[in-house]
Amino acid sequence: MASSQPVKPPLATQASQAQRGSQPGLRYPSNGKTIYHRPLNRSRTQELSQSSFAYLFGEMVSYAQKRVTGIQDLEKRLNVQGHPIGLKLLDLLLYREPPRTQTRPLHIIALLQFITTILWRHLFSRPADALEKSSNPDTPEEYMISDNEPLVNQYISVPKEMNQLNCAAFVAGIVEGVCDGAGFPARVTAHSVGKGEEGELWPGKTVFLVKFEPEVVEREAYLGRS
Amino acid sequence: MSYYFAIIGTKDNPLFEYEFGTAKQGGDGIARFAEQARHMNQFIVHSSLDIVEEVQWGNGQMYLKCIDRFYNNYVSCFMTGGNVKFLLLHSPSQPATTNTSRASTSIGANPTSPQTEEAIKQFFTEVYENWVKTIMNPFYNVNAEVRSPVFRSRVAAAGKKYL
Amino acid sequence: MVVFALIIINKAGGLIYQRDFAEGLNKLSINDYLVLAGTFHGVHAITTRLNPLHQHNLPPSTSDVRPDPPSGIEVLETENFRLQCFSTLTGTKFLLFTEPQQPNVDKIVGRIYELYSDYVMKNPFYQLEMPVRCESFDRKLVQYVRPLNSR
Repeated sequence: MASSQPVKPPLATQASQAQRGSQPGLRYPSNGKTIYHRPLNRSRTQELSQSSFAYLFGEMVSYAQKRVTGIQDLEKRLNVQGHPIGLKLLDLLLYREPPRTQTRPLHIIALLQFITTILWRHLFSRPADALEKSSNPDTPEEYMISDNEPLVNQYISVPKEMNQLNCAAFVAGIVEGVCDGAGFPARVTAHSVGKGEEGELWPGKTVFLVKFEPEVVEREAYLGRS
Repeated sequence: MSYYFAIIGTKDNPLFEYEFGTAKQGGDGIARFAEQARHMNQFIVHSSLDIVEEVQWGNGQMYLKCIDRFYNNYVSCFMTGGNVKFLLLHSPSQPATTNTSRASTSIGANPTSPQTEEAIKQFFTEVYENWVKTIMNPFYNVNAEVRSPVFRSRVAAAGKKYL
Repeated sequence: MVVFALIIINKAGGLIYQRDFAEGLNKLSINDYLVLAGTFHGVHAITTRLNPLHQHNLPPSTSDVRPDPPSGIEVLETENFRLQCFSTLTGTKFLLFTEPQQPNVDKIVGRIYELYSDYVMKNPFYQLEMPVRCESFDRKLVQYVRPLNSR
C-alpha cells in the first residue's frame, strides 16, 4: 500500500504491515498461525489414504525417472528423496516418545530397534518383519531389515527389463536418513528377494541392507569396552 | 544472570544465537556480559563442543546438564536426536559488578544447583519442541540457519518463563 | 460356474489385455484378438447411437441432471457363453466371457475394474493406453478369479 495514499488504511492492514515491516519477505498466513502454532502431536494417530499416497509415490517415481542414466541412478534418486524425511522423522519420533524412553540411540542395536519398531509403525502401522545381523564374519557392519510386503511397492510392478529396481529404495533413503541423523553414517539399499515363482507367499519381499561406515563399528567396539 | 544461547549444527556450524538476561526476581531480561568479555562467549561455547562429543556417547539422555565451565561461565548442553546441539552459556552476575539486577535467586546465584538444572531443562525442552517444528518445515534443510522471527520470539519466551 | 476370459480394450479400440482363466474358448492368434477387440469396439460405438425412440419423443427432463449417455452393448448371450461388457467413464472397456449361468457377473467385473485401477493405474511404470504388463495385476486377478472357477 503506497504511503502517498490519502485515505488512512484500516487498522488491520496497518498492523499486518508493521508485522511485515520488521521481516521483509516473510509472509504470515492470514490467520496469523505459523507452523510454530501447531501442536506436534495433533496428527499423531491420524492416517493417510493409501490411494493418495500411491498416486503421489507413483509420480515421485516417474519424476525420478526423468533423464535418469540407469537403474542405480534411479534408486539413488529415490534414496535422496527419502533421506531428509528420515532426518526429520528421527527428531519428531523421539519428541513423541514418553520422557522415560526419550533417549538418543547410542548403539547400533538400539538404533535398529528404533527403526524397525517405532519408525516402521509410524510409517506403515506395523513393525518390520525381521531384523538380522549379517552372518558373514567379513562384514560385521552389515545388518538386514526385512519387510515382507513393502507398503510403497504395493501397487508397483517393475517391468522385466528393470528387474534390478526396487522402488523401496525410497524407504531405504528414509532409513539412511535416520541412521545418518543419529550419528551412525550408513549406506542403505533395498533388494528384492522374491524368487518370482508362482504361488509365492511374499512375492514382494524386500530386504534393506544397512551397511554402517567403519567408524561406527569402531566406536561401537570402543563404547562396548568401557 | 546473563545467558548466551546457541544452536550448533551437526558440522559444528552455528544455526541460531540468542542473548538474554534473567527475567526472574525483577530482572529486566537484558544480558549483561561485560563488553570486553562478550565476544568470548562464542569461543567458550565453541570450545565446549569437544566435551559435548565425549559426553554424548556416554549418556543417551538428551539433556546433558552442565558440561563445561570457564571461569564464571557455565555451559549446559542439550543434544537432539539429529545431533544438533543446544548450548546455553550462563554466567551469574558477579557480586563485584555494579549490576542493577541483584542476582539472589536460586537460579542466578548457583549455576549448578538442582533448581538451575531443572529450570534449564525446562527451557531446553520447550526450545526442543519448537526446534522439531522448525525441522518439520519442508523448506528447512539440515544445517541451515534458522531465521524465523517466530522461532526467536519462542526462544525468548521460553527464556523469560524459566530462566 | 466358469469365468473364461478377460479382455481389456482401450478407448481407441486397441487390445491392451487378454487373459484366459479356463478352457472352453477357442485359442486365437494374437492378431485375431486384436481384430476381435477392434471389431467389438466398432460395434459398441454403433450400438451407442442406436435408439428405438426419437430424441424429441423422450420425456423432457425436469431436473438439471444430464441423462446418462447411452451405454451401448452391455451383455451378449449365446448358448455357450455370455459376454459382459463394462465401459468405464474414460472409455476403457472390460469384456468378460463367462458361462451363461454365471451369477453376479457385474460384481465380478466391478471387482476386476477395482483391481485394474489399483494395480495398473497406480503403477508408475504403466503408460496410459498401452498394453498392460503388470505382474501384480496378473497375480491379483488370478487370485481373485481362480476361487470363482473352482466353486
